[in-house]
Amino acid sequence: MLVWHAIWNGGFHLWAESSCSPASIPEHQKKRGKRPRPHPFTLALDDLRKEAQATYGSAVIESASPETLTILLPSTSQEPLPSPYLIREDSSTLRRATSLTPWDIATLVLDPGATVDLLLSSCDGAPQRVAFSSSLCFWAEVAKFSLELVARQCFMPEVEEGEGFLQAAWKAVLGEQDRERVYLLAEAMPPVCRAYTASGKALPPSGLVRVFLDQAVDTLVREGLAQVSLLPPRHGRQPRDTLAGKWLRALSTPNPVFTAAAQELSSFPQDIRSWLCEIEPTSLDAVFRTCFRLEPPQDGKGWRISFLLQANDDPSLIVSAEKVWRAKKAVLTFLKRRFENPQERLLADLGRACRIFPLIEQSLNTACPVGLKLDTDQAYIFLRQSAPLLEQSGFGVLVPPWWQKPAARVGLKLKARPRTETRPTGSGLFGVDSIVDYSWEVAIGDETLSPQEFERLARLKVPLVQVRGQWVELRPSEIERAISFFQKHADGELSLGEVLRLGLGSEEAGAGLPVVGVEGEGWLSSILNELKDGMRITPIESPPTFCGELRPYQKGGLSWLSFLQSFGLGACLADDMGLGKTIQVIALLLQECSDGPTLVVCPMSVVENWRLELQRFGPSLSVMVHHGADRLSGQEFEEEAQKNDLVITTYSLVYRDAEFLCHVHWRCVVLDEAQNIKNASARQTQAVKKLRPSHRIALTGTPVENRLSELWSIMECLNPGYLGSARDFHTKFALPIERYHNPEKTRTLQRLIQPFILRRLKTDPQVIQDLPQKVELKAFCHLTPEQASLYEAVVQEMLGRIEDSSGIERKGLVLATLTKLKQVCNHPAHFLQDGSQLSGRSGKLARLVEMLEEVLAERDKTLIFTQFAEMGSMLRHHLQETFGCEVLFLYGGTSRKERDRMVSRFQDGDPPLFILSLKAGGLGLNLTAANHVFHFDRWWNPAVENQATDRAFRIGQKRNVLVHKFLCLGTLEERIDQIMEEKRGLADSIVGGGEEWLTEMSTEKLKEMFALSREAVEE
Amino acid sequence: MTLWESYWYYEPTRPREVKDGIKAKSQHGRIGETWWSRRWVDVLESLGMGARLARGRSYARRGQVVSMEIQKGVVSARVQGTRPSPYKVEIKLNPLSDGDWDRVTDAMASQAIFAAKLLSGEMPQNIEDAFSKAKVPLFPISEEELDTDCSCPDWANPCKHIAAVYYLLAERFDEDPFLIFKLRGRTKEEIVQALREKRNLTPLEEGVTLPNVVDSTAPPLEECLDSFWQGGEILNSFAVNPAPPEVDNAILKRLGEAPFSIGKHNIASLLASAYTAASAAALKRALGEL
Repeated sequence: MLVWHAIWNGGFHLWAESSCSPASIPEHQKKRGKRPRPHPFTLALDDLRKEAQATYGSAVIESASPETLTILLPSTSQEPLPSPYLIREDSSTLRRATSLTPWDIATLVLDPGATVDLLLSSCDGAPQRVAFSSSLCFWAEVAKFSLELVARQCFMPEVEEGEGFLQAAWKAVLGEQDRERVYLLAEAMPPVCRAYTASGKALPPSGLVRVFLDQAVDTLVREGLAQVSLLPPRHGRQPRDTLAGKWLRALSTPNPVFTAAAQELSSFPQDIRSWLCEIEPTSLDAVFRTCFRLEPPQDGKGWRISFLLQANDDPSLIVSAEKVWRAKKAVLTFLKRRFENPQERLLADLGRACRIFPLIEQSLNTACPVGLKLDTDQAYIFLRQSAPLLEQSGFGVLVPPWWQKPAARVGLKLKARPRTETRPTGSGLFGVDSIVDYSWEVAIGDETLSPQEFERLARLKVPLVQVRGQWVELRPSEIERAISFFQKHADGELSLGEVLRLGLGSEEAGAGLPVVGVEGEGWLSSILNELKDGMRITPIESPPTFCGELRPYQKGGLSWLSFLQSFGLGACLADDMGLGKTIQVIALLLQECSDGPTLVVCPMSVVENWRLELQRFGPSLSVMVHHGADRLSGQEFEEEAQKNDLVITTYSLVYRDAEFLCHVHWRCVVLDEAQNIKNASARQTQAVKKLRPSHRIALTGTPVENRLSELWSIMECLNPGYLGSARDFHTKFALPIERYHNPEKTRTLQRLIQPFILRRLKTDPQVIQDLPQKVELKAFCHLTPEQASLYEAVVQEMLGRIEDSSGIERKGLVLATLTKLKQVCNHPAHFLQDGSQLSGRSGKLARLVEMLEEVLAERDKTLIFTQFAEMGSMLRHHLQETFGCEVLFLYGGTSRKERDRMVSRFQDGDPPLFILSLKAGGLGLNLTAANHVFHFDRWWNPAVENQATDRAFRIGQKRNVLVHKFLCLGTLEERIDQIMEEKRGLADSIVGGGEEWLTEMSTEKLKEMFALSREAVEE
Repeated sequence: MTLWESYWYYEPTRPREVKDGIKAKSQHGRIGETWWSRRWVDVLESLGMGARLARGRSYARRGQVVSMEIQKGVVSARVQGTRPSPYKVEIKLNPLSDGDWDRVTDAMASQAIFAAKLLSGEMPQNIEDAFSKAKVPLFPISEEELDTDCSCPDWANPCKHIAAVYYLLAERFDEDPFLIFKLRGRTKEEIVQALREKRNLTPLEEGVTLPNVVDSTAPPLEECLDSFWQGGEILNSFAVNPAPPEVDNAILKRLGEAPFSIGKHNIASLLASAYTAASAAALKRALGEL
């Protein structure tokens, strides 16, 4: 794997660590005292360029120039330690950094344009087998910040003096909040960003950030000006090469350098700077600042602005101008605050403020001005234009509390009426695309206006009006919009989805006016309320046909599913793994309903799970599994499906058999392991969308809110159209939230999806008390065709040999067969021992990766037991590559010291996955940081397995432990498991010794035991 | 050449070239950009100097003034003419008496605008009002108030050398309006102090120390071995909002007119299109449309 790093020292250096480079320094180099030495496992130039092009595209890398940079890295006495993102096969957990040592690394230096391109493109996650280090992510955040500054026009031109020339540049202008953000960024800067000087002296983090911002802003502004000339159009032979003109040209073209006559080299920059210096707030470090307070009319008097002094560290602390003028000393003390020279300060500030808000000047013709009067239009201009400018210039501004509050804006209120009088009870009547009637009203805050009232207000043509005692901003553009909106849309029809979306906080209706409220009439009002607040949903009891007991939170889930079902609204049940999503759905399906069969779509690996759970909890449901080569099709299928309550099939078959699956009218489609439809363009997702059931349910244990395109895809399957088109969703939500961490959009989206996603965590207090402390689950896996043919070959060969042998030899052969078959079930490469590649060849491995994805997303820690050290080593390699995180591995060959360090790192540190061989790790260790235990292969001795499980499930464990036991369907693993289950209570005593008991079986029995049932093989 | 040299009272058209002389910034049109420097130049131009005025202007532009020093009541300069050593020029302006200044500051103290503008580094537009209220002229009204002297052989006063210095002074006034006060005998600080006293205040305390802004100082790298690769938590939630500005062209609005123009266009208005274009491009890029 590769880890990309960045160093910025005025120029942007890209470098990479590689897990493929030799691990350590050759002996002959170690001895040499020469320093700095070349870093042993960074990519050398040729590879660096090649890999950079692969990751970032050749356009960005093309113009990069190579350079060797010396940087300081935490090192042992021998060599640098790898960064934590680099997973190396040989990484020993014992090594600790003893010092900072300079190392030479090969880097690619990017020009500023390419730098910004690279950083802005590397925001959205690393490809497989590649990791982005914190240094790269850090600069990416700063680059995004610079993009914002340019968008917000927070930049200004500059001119610098060079040796005999001048240089034009753009630089960032930071207001108070932006400076605070620079400070936050600087605080968060990973130390490695400062590692670029061998002497260890670098700019302080905030300095580095500032300089970077200036450079990035300059680059972005110039890019934006590529098609723009700042010079006035030429008329006739107007002289063009004035210094100011040269400056403008140098600001808008790629070449920033321009020339000037000797004496102007310093006078021009001085003049420009004395003009620009106004922008840098002067009063940053002062104790107080001048503040303008706008006061609405009172007691028949008009609008006015009062002059105040305001403490910088406590904006609520203000001193009126009257008091300032009365002061007789140069120091005014007020509430323990010293205001030095308050009169000068106030006067100087008033003088400055005149430039921004010229009206102030009129008020200054008295000796001791305290404020000024305004008319309504002037007050509005002050609020809209001057107040932000004054604030940016470092003044305090106090505006009335209603200003810019949604309550003080014109908005729309939606009234929605259902078409049917009664609330729908069954399913199939409704859905997000069903139609309701609506009408719009103009609202100001909570007040609704009649059309006459609104027109009267609009006719006043003033920007600020009082409506029933409340001041309100009336933007002319909004009034126009509102009027034309009403002419077109006063009332009409909307889909329920639209109403819900507006009601749940999507802020805009088509006309660009904010929606301030949605009111439902009749039962629509209660559904809106219940959707907003899931707690209000009426709880229901589990149906009598449900065989078992639902825990309280599961009853909650059932009520919620049932509520959404009654309106035909798609539901996503996203409870943590192990909380029993399947049985909640089974309870729902057991509710009386004559609306046709339900289709369960799931990955092949859980088909068996579904069948077994249905058998156990809902035996009254008739189930048909649509799977295998001899499955029904066409008319035959449709007829058979109608006869059953439930059809179980797989995602791949939904695509392959789409033609006739679409023809059945499904009561409900349940999409289990819904991450299978996270890719909107995948053909199985497309096929799922073609099904037209009355109701849809998605189940997933992976938190779907994390990757928004996936969330969209799942929601699109559940409630088509609800979140808008993929493109709209991307620009409106995915981009602002994922790339820019926009908190407002995040909240809006959460409000929108909250009614349709129910996610309970194992750690929720309400859930945790309901849960048993240890839950054992079986993960049924399928053999791949490759595994199946290997399996059959082994069985055939070994049975032949067993038949011809006896005594000790037979015993040995049976045990050998057992081992071989287990190896095949684990992985073909495990059996073949040929070091071949792993992915796509083992059902177990695929299932493990699937489940670990969920576990890691929940930030849980996991123990994985196997009885084979070779398998452990293969798993470690594969999981590290797949998840890009360090995987610990403990086996017989691990030294005691290393073992102790691994245990303590697992308990207190980062690594979330710990593979242990059953023999080496089964006893004595305390690994309570884990709350998942996987038994990748089985030791047919429950006592040994339980001992291993108890590494996590023991004193100190505060959470519930989930134990996942893997077994391959249709193989000896399933059969042995059955025997164990049957003898469960007795297990310990009967099979105490291990696997010996198997050797006592007759060959006939062994044949049954070993034989492979073909239907359990993956297609 | 020899013929011309015998007529000693005629200067040759070309004075000796000066290296690193003080050149007028304005190379075309009129000199003096602000209203107060215009007022200064107006006085000179009203004196009926004819061609000497134009020559003086071109002296100023060519950098014939070698040095210039402004002190209370007097400007001393050296101007390179045709002779090997530069001429000495002096322009004296009668300083106001303490009584005059007292009346002027009285008038200024009655309106906050004067102190406000002076303290923010601007010359109040109606500063002359304060002077006329006190019946004291700020700018010289007539020739009599100006005492000018040049060591050149020219019989006319003001000569072109004086005019050159006069023009350069106008440009100095553009940069620092308070030089006019200085010529009249008071520094800006003295006026501000006088205004303060009019408000019955104790004198300014010296050496007021202001608290420093705390800058983030990072621990030395040697102390960061364990957290060497670790960025702050904030990086995962650092919110960026690429949105259009609240007020368009806010920075230019805060800056006001620039001291430069190209043709009829002030630099500030020319820069406006840069703000619009760059902001639009950045927004487009932020939305991934670029």
